[in-house]
Amino acid sequence: MLSNLGNLILFISAFISLSIIYISFVNLNDGKTVLRKKIYQLCLFQSTLIILSFFVLVSAFITSDFSLMTVYQNSHTLKPLLYKISGTWGNHEGSLLLWLIILTIFSFLFLVYNKDHPKNYRLYTLITQNFLIIGFLFFLIFNSNPFSFLSPIPKEGLGLNPILQDPALAIHPPLLYVGFVGSSIYFSAAISSMLSNYSGKPFALSIKNWVLISWSFQTIGILAGSIWAYYELGWGGFWFWDPVENASLLPWFAMTALFHSLIALEKRNLFYFWVIILCIITFILSVTGTFLVRSGILNSVHTFANDPSRGLYILLFLCFLIFTSIFILFKKFQTNNYKINSNSKETFVLINNWFMIFYLVTVLLGTIYPIFTEVLTSQKISVGPPFYNTVIIPLVVLFLIFMSIGPNVKWIRDNFKNLNLLLKILAASLIINFLIIYFFKSYSLLSNFIIISSIFLIISTFLDLYKYSKKKLFNLSRLVSHLAFGFMILFIGLNYNFSFEKDFNLKLGDKKKFADYTIEFENINLEEFKNYKSVVGKFNIKNYSKNLNLVLSPEIRIYENPSTLTYEASIRSGLLKDYYITMSNIDRSEFYNIKFQKKPFMMWIWISVIFVSIGGFMRIFRNEKKIN
Amino acid sequence: MRIIIVIFYFFLYLNNLNATPMADQEIIFKNLRCLVCQGQSVADSNSDFAQTIKLVVRDQIKEGKTEKEIYKFLIEKYGEWIVYKPPLNKSNSVLWLFPYLIFIIGGIMIFLLLKKRPNR
Repeated sequence: MLSNLGNLILFISAFISLSIIYISFVNLNDGKTVLRKKIYQLCLFQSTLIILSFFVLVSAFITSDFSLMTVYQNSHTLKPLLYKISGTWGNHEGSLLLWLIILTIFSFLFLVYNKDHPKNYRLYTLITQNFLIIGFLFFLIFNSNPFSFLSPIPKEGLGLNPILQDPALAIHPPLLYVGFVGSSIYFSAAISSMLSNYSGKPFALSIKNWVLISWSFQTIGILAGSIWAYYELGWGGFWFWDPVENASLLPWFAMTALFHSLIALEKRNLFYFWVIILCIITFILSVTGTFLVRSGILNSVHTFANDPSRGLYILLFLCFLIFTSIFILFKKFQTNNYKINSNSKETFVLINNWFMIFYLVTVLLGTIYPIFTEVLTSQKISVGPPFYNTVIIPLVVLFLIFMSIGPNVKWIRDNFKNLNLLLKILAASLIINFLIIYFFKSYSLLSNFIIISSIFLIISTFLDLYKYSKKKLFNLSRLVSHLAFGFMILFIGLNYNFSFEKDFNLKLGDKKKFADYTIEFENINLEEFKNYKSVVGKFNIKNYSKNLNLVLSPEIRIYENPSTLTYEASIRSGLLKDYYITMSNIDRSEFYNIKFQKKPFMMWIWISVIFVSIGGFMRIFRNEKKIN
Repeated sequence: MRIIIVIFYFFLYLNNLNATPMADQEIIFKNLRCLVCQGQSVADSNSDFAQTIKLVVRDQIKEGKTEKEIYKFLIEKYGEWIVYKPPLNKSNSVLWLFPYLIFIIGGIMIFLLLKKRPNR
């Protein structure tokens, strides 16, 4: 029943998209200045239907209706309610439906919120967006139908991958998708802007908030994924430069470059075509990310749902997007004669973009290069953390310095009168860095540079804050984001250098001593839960010199549906540091492998990232206030 | 200004004090892929394969081999798939050099864009 209902809704939605495109084309040429009311109604109807179909799927998951293939493959009657619901988007088909929700809602909201922009621009945006919607609807209906019927109806489902049964991962996809898919609307707007010759400041104003919304959500989404990786994968790291992680980072670089350029377009009417290119790149990278994740073409820890036929469809769709956008771009492209002074904010916007593109190219190349070597030379290679660290980190140092200077430079023309101040800030950063080394421990030259430059950014942003608070000319959102970014790099740098790790094997009842620590494997318990059994170890961790005494209980979980072993880390999070322990059984032995880690400032890395994205949200509210 | 230079040299000196001459096994483990796992490093994995590789690496460190020699040995045995940092050779040259090329081209483009303006 639910299967039929779902399919019916999807077909009606596809039909509505076609009608919207048709009516929009008619509306384009009817000589009137306003949009037809019917278009609003259809758009509202369209997003309502897609949301409805999503709820149909959710209810199928809640009631464990195994007549639906998707539910059978990804759910189980014994699962907790939360994971039944999050199972809806924890799989390929359901998550595509989430794509569609965001595509249609953004399409409708963009239409409603941009009433003061010209008719043709809005209509072309709507048409482009609906082409995207149809593309994804067809993919959904014919290749990845979440409502495909299964007969005979199985009694029990296969269950959800246990490592996905987690609160952070329940919210991770929706957040990331607002970022990913949200970029579709400014892709459509960019295409439309070229078709309707609507450029400059008004165009920048119309997409500004949408870029910020997707960027802020993307940031938070990446964070949620990172936190999940930190405690669920049990390795103690939070970023592995894994292909799937990179896929979420690539659009983030493009978005960051985009909204900085957008400021120049808004204030100075510069870089119009560059902004268009960035809009297009952002969405294309989002689709590429989906392709990489879904096709299973790359070896990743995060490969959960892959199937080559899906990959092929997305790849074709991607080629279509790229060729169409390039075609339109070439037809409309004009060279502009910009007059930019080297001592101006414009230059720094360019510098921001310069670095972002460099990061983007490095990460993109690193992610897809193994595919090329395998196809061309049948040589399998791995591109992992050491590659990215070697190529990217040295240039982060320079980037942070530019980031500290840039925001204070005036538009059009400025002269560097505050060189003295910069030297003072540099001296202060050097001294702070030196104090850290003196009181704690020394680290590599590169780490020195990273920490000095991040402190440099932090101090100069604080000085800005002080200066602006006197003038009451506030641009708090920028300050918050930049300051938080500086802190993020600083804490990551400190975390990297001050982490402590010990890997050893231990028998029940034994003690292990190293450095100032004593770790005792006190006992082990078997506990039964609703959908898994758990072997819980109890470890006493003591450090006499620091007066530390804590008990951590890592687990080995045995899930039945599907039958999987997972290793759950036990973490004591603190303001200054986290203690982290995992245990795993060793085959044919009474020993357990224990990994003990001390990770300083973890909490502060998370908090910094949250504030980076809060800066984005603040800017959105400020823009809204300005308009009203 | 002079103080800055003094401080700078001082922490450079401090760094050299702590430089470890021995190959660091933890770093090597992190840079090796566990071939039987899904995107896990040898350091992070508990598989039999990872345990074996750890033993091999420890032995080689005892024999006094450098980090580079150990990677070379493992690449000969298992192929380039095993190291997370691809060696700089002919087939990987694009991977290593292209990002910098982009960076340089980007820099030149910005430079040209700024230079175009006649100084008024």
